[in-house]
Order: sequence, then structure tokens, then C-alpha cells
Amino acid sequence: MIPADLWDEDDKTGSIVLWLYADGAKVKQGDLIAEVLVEKVTLELEAPATGTLRIQVEPEVVVNKGDTVAVIE
Amino acid sequence: MTLTPELRRGFLEKMALSRAFDDAMIALYWEGKVPIFAFGAGPLPGELHCSNGAEPIGAGVCGALSADDMITADHRPHHVAVCRGVDLDRMSAELLGKKAGLSQGKGGHMHIYDPAVNFASSGIIAEGMAPAAGMALARRLQKKPGVAVTFLGEGAANQGAFHEVMNMVGLWKLPVITVVQDNEWGVSTAKSESTAIERNSDRAAGYGMAGEYVDSNDPDDIYEAAARAVKRARDGLGGTILELKTARLAGHFMGDQQGYIPEQMKQADPIPLYRAKLIRDGVITEAQADAIQAAATERMAKAMQFAKDAPYPDASEAFDHVFAA
Amino acid sequence: MSSNRILTMSRAGREALDWEMERRDEIFCMGEDVFKFGGIFGTMDGFGAKYGPERVISTPISETGFIGMAAGAAMAGMHPVIDLAYIDFIGVCYNVLLNTASKTHYMSGGAVKVPMTLLIGTGGGYNNAAQHSQCLHATVAHIPGAKVVYPSNAYDAKGMLHTALRDENFVIFLTHKGTAGVGWMGTPIKTTLSEVPDGPYEVPFGKVKVYREGTDVTIVGLGMSVHESLKAADALAKDGISAEVVDLRSLVPLDRDGIMESVSKTGRLIVTDEDYMSYGVSGEIIASVVERDPTVFKKPPVRVTTPDIPIPFARPMEQAILPLAPRIADAARKLMA
Repeated sequence: MIPADLWDEDDKTGSIVLWLYADGAKVKQGDLIAEVLVEKVTLELEAPATGTLRIQVEPEVVVNKGDTVAVIE
Repeated sequence: MTLTPELRRGFLEKMALSRAFDDAMIALYWEGKVPIFAFGAGPLPGELHCSNGAEPIGAGVCGALSADDMITADHRPHHVAVCRGVDLDRMSAELLGKKAGLSQGKGGHMHIYDPAVNFASSGIIAEGMAPAAGMALARRLQKKPGVAVTFLGEGAANQGAFHEVMNMVGLWKLPVITVVQDNEWGVSTAKSESTAIERNSDRAAGYGMAGEYVDSNDPDDIYEAAARAVKRARDGLGGTILELKTARLAGHFMGDQQGYIPEQMKQADPIPLYRAKLIRDGVITEAQADAIQAAATERMAKAMQFAKDAPYPDASEAFDHVFAA
Repeated sequence: MSSNRILTMSRAGREALDWEMERRDEIFCMGEDVFKFGGIFGTMDGFGAKYGPERVISTPISETGFIGMAAGAAMAGMHPVIDLAYIDFIGVCYNVLLNTASKTHYMSGGAVKVPMTLLIGTGGGYNNAAQHSQCLHATVAHIPGAKVVYPSNAYDAKGMLHTALRDENFVIFLTHKGTAGVGWMGTPIKTTLSEVPDGPYEVPFGKVKVYREGTDVTIVGLGMSVHESLKAADALAKDGISAEVVDLRSLVPLDRDGIMESVSKTGRLIVTDEDYMSYGVSGEIIASVVERDPTVFKKPPVRVTTPDIPIPFARPMEQAILPLAPRIADAARKLMA
């Protein structure tokens, strides 16, 4: 899920530009897993848990705060 | 640092040796170049920019430095190199393009490198300034002592690099002494024809550093000004633009007829003047002065013999040293 | 960190520099805005806070001055890493590259080394006009005494930066802006991304990389043109043409034998290059093959490059003159006809 505090303004949207792990990869809690671009600023998305990454939103799709972009099983 | 008799006698010795070096090179330079002059002909090929007349700068400034300090010189490097203690035999061999030369015959007279005494030179005008500042920066990062001194001509003060480097030296209070050797001529262009103000040392104010002009081609005066600059640098007070009035007695380079120099601008030879001064001051006797001259001539003769006896590099060595292995 | 991370070139390069800086005091960074902004590609991102202003030095806008200083610091035992942002700016510091950094080791007969790494962004394709879109890699590769490398993907970016930082020479480390994977150039190109090991590793200079094997035509590229070539190869595959894509990776030293090996197999050569055509890399590659064996060619070799004109600003003009995938694919189809 895109954390509510990843960027300041609630009305702005972002987009994932890069998943740093492939779909199905094992990730650990705290790993940097995606880059999210909001306007010209690149933000970092960390894994909230340890497990297998299941990507639900591909790069270049518009995302909002609170959107689920991946599930960690 | 006081001006002791030993120091002053040393100045005369260094100046005599530097002059002996240039005179020996000038004599050799004309071999193979008369009656038809060609830069590439003879045992000492290429351009040759001699330091005759500027020896007081080498003696006075280098006299104020210590072994930790670093020097970059320009296309006219002999007086600084000799006074810094660059290996005379290997420097002579380098001018002749010999394998035993400091650069194994890859540098020639404008490109003298002797890491043993932290000496480097560059043939591009003002090109030694930034590396000198970088050497000072390196010592700061390495937490080691060392003042960097860069030697250039008054004409080089009009290069863009001068402004960029002086600003950074001032900004970062780097221990860099910029020695502007004012011999009044940039090739055939007089200082008054190239420079908006009379003294480049006045430009120091624009870079937040000290500036000093020494209006005498005398190693005593030069030494004292250099020692003040060195002290400021060692005390963490930053750089100095030290402009020194000097002479260029052998033209821009060999073959320069200097027809453009008017009679009233003819320059005096500083070495006989300093010799007479030391005798007058009772530092040395006439006979001791003669002995200093003889020793210099003899030392240079030995260096020249070393250079002449040394073999040339093999042509295949041209491909060595393009990259460090 | 978990293994199998997929990184951008920017993040991969940053890891290499960070690893070396943690262990080697002689490495320091210099460039305009590097302390606060971390360099054009973020190679020094966060280094200001981590290493402090002594080792991450933001400079005045004085390229002649600070790159010359870097050369002096290198001569005095340091290994500076310089960020020059765009290669279009070499005009204001070219003398240092041309006469000091590249020649001091030679002119001193090996007595003085100048180990320094110059990071530069190159290339266009994003409407920044003629003074901010050039490649100019041939202009720097022409200088003897400078190594010139040009990785095109994250794995090579990290490995080659480790190699550069351990090299005792002046290394010009080029990255095409479009390949780096930075926020201001859109979504990263997929083929620039790689799985990047956590630990350090070296990728040696002077070896081509066969990105994609093929049998009909060799397409040689570097930087961005590798990725355009890969796109062209995908299109060609649909037409039944098997293209081999070779990434030069390094211009000095240049792996002439590696190029020859591929052309010997296919008998057809297209050289793609975003630099200007004349007196450049494309001619050099073709000459290298011709010198070895001109009979290897089934058809005359072809160049797909930026023509000898300044890079135009407007999108239709710029897109038309860049060596993009459709032009490369067309050239291959003609070669196969």
C-alpha cells in the first residue's frame, strides 16, 4: 500500500517507475522495493513485511496514497 | 626565517648554477641550427625558453620553502627547477631527449617532473595553477603539511584559469602561493598592452587574499616576501598573489631577436648585481665569488657530460607510459 | 538487503562509489552542487550527509579550475571523482582533459600518475537542444592517455565504476542520460535494468558484450543506441531477421577483436551511434573490421548515426535525426534484401 506520508500533498498522484525486485522474488522487511515518481521527485517504497513479492500495479500506472500496489505473502 | 649570510651565499650559488645550466643549454642549442635555423635540428631540439634574468625568483622563493611543499612551474621552468634541487643530471639529459632523463625523453624542457622534490611543470600557460591548488587540497584532505607554489608569467594572469583558481583558493583559504613573474613581456606583447592594471598583485583583493608586489629583482627582497607568504599559508590564512619584477634576458625563446624591445626597456642582469652586493656587504670575498662561479660551471659541465653520454631511448619506447599499468 | 535486486544504472553506480569511499580515504567527490544534489545521476546521492563537506565538495561554476585541481590532487596521491554533469560542458575545461589529466603520466615517463574518474552525462532525445544534447564521446576518446568507458546497463555501471575507481589512470566515465534511470527522464528503459549483486565486483574495460545473439546481421552500439538496437532486433525478429546486438561498453580500450568476431559470424554490420557521424566511432568500428579482413562483408557496412548537424530542439526534428530503432531496423532490412 502507498503510505499516506510518502508525499505531502494529498491531491497529488504518483506513478511507480521501477520495481526493484521481480514478481515472485523474496524480500525482507525494510528492503527498498520500488521507486515512485511524484512530479520530478523520486520517492522510495520499502517492504512493510518479509515474504514473497506479488506485484499488482505495473510501472507508469497512476497511483494514489492508500492504493495497494503489491502484496507480500 | 631570517636572512642569514649562509642563506644569501646559497642564493648566489643557486643563481650561478641556474645560469650555468641555461648558458650551457643555449650554447648546445645553436649546434646544428646555424646558418639555417630549425627548431628540430641539432642535439637540443624543440623550443627552448631560458630563464636568464629570472634566477633571483628561483633562489628567493625556493629558499623560503621546505621539503613538504609542492611546486608547479610553467614553460620557463629551469630557474625554479634548479633552485628547488631537481636532479640536475637527469634534467639535463631530459632536455637532450635521453633515456636517462627525468621523463625518459618523453617530456623535454617544458615538462619537468621530479616527484622526489615535488616538482612539476606544464607548457600550457597558466595550466599549472589549478593542479597546484589541487595539491594543496590533497594535503589538507590527507592531513599532511604542505604549501603549494605555482609559478607563472605576468601574461598568464590574463588566462581564464587564473580567475577560476584564485577564486577557489580564496574561497577555501588554500595554502597556495601564486608567483607572478613580471618580466614585462608576454612573447612580444608588453604588460601595458595586455593588462588593464599595473600590478596583478592588486587583483588579490578581488579574491579575498593577500597580494604583494616586489619591485626588485633581488633574491633577498624576494625571499622576505616569499617567507611572509609561506607563513600566512602555514598559519591557515590562505593564499597570496606574489608578483615579482624580474628580467627576461634571453628572449621568449631561443631565436627571438627581441627587436620589439625599446632601448629604454633593456633589463639589467641580476647576478653580477647580487654578487657585488654580497661582496659589498662582506658576506663573501671576490675570490669566494669567483669560486662559487667556478663550482657552478664545473657542476653543470658534469651534468652536461652525463646528458651527452646517455643513450637515446629506443623508438619503441614511444608506446610505453600512455597508461599506468 | 535481499538478493536479486533489480537496479537502475544510477543506483548501481552509487553503490560502487559508496563502497569504495567507505574503504578508501583517497577518494573524494567534487563538482557543482554535488553536496546537496548528489551529482547529475545521483551517483553521490546522500554522500554529503554521510561523508561531509570535506569529501563531497560542491564547487563554484569553474570547471577549468576544479577539474584542474582534481588533476593536481590526483598527482598528490588522491583519487578524485568529478561530476561534470553534461558532456556539452567539456568546452570550458577541455585543456585540463587534453593537456594535463591525459598526458602527465606519459610526459613524466611514468613518474607521475593521475588517477581520477570523471563522470559525465551524454546524449539527447528529450528536447534540450544543441548545447545540452550532445554525445561527443569521439571527441574525448580521440585523446591519447584517457580511458573512456560507456556502460549501458546497471550491472556494467556498478562493475565498471569499481574498475574505474581502482584504475591508476584518468578515466572518463560516460552515461547516456536516457539510460541512467533518473526521475527526470521518465520510466527507466527495461533493458538498462539489471540484477545487481550486493557486493563489489569489477567489469574489465575493453571487452564488448553480446547483448543478444543473432546470425544475420551485427548491430554494434553504445550507450543509448544499444537499447534502440535491441528494440530494432525485436522488430526484425518478427520479419525473420536474426540480429546480433553488440555493446561496445568501452571506447578506450576498444575491443576490435570482439567486434570482428561477431561480424565474422554474420557478414553484415550496422554501427549505431548517437554521436555525430563524421570522424567518429562509427567510422572507427568499420575501419577496424576492414583492416582485419574486408572479405568478411557480404554487403557494405552501414552507419546509423546522428548526422553532422547540431541537435535540433523541436520534437519532430530531433526524433527524426536520432539513430532510433525504426532507422536501425530499416537499415537491417535493406542489408538483408
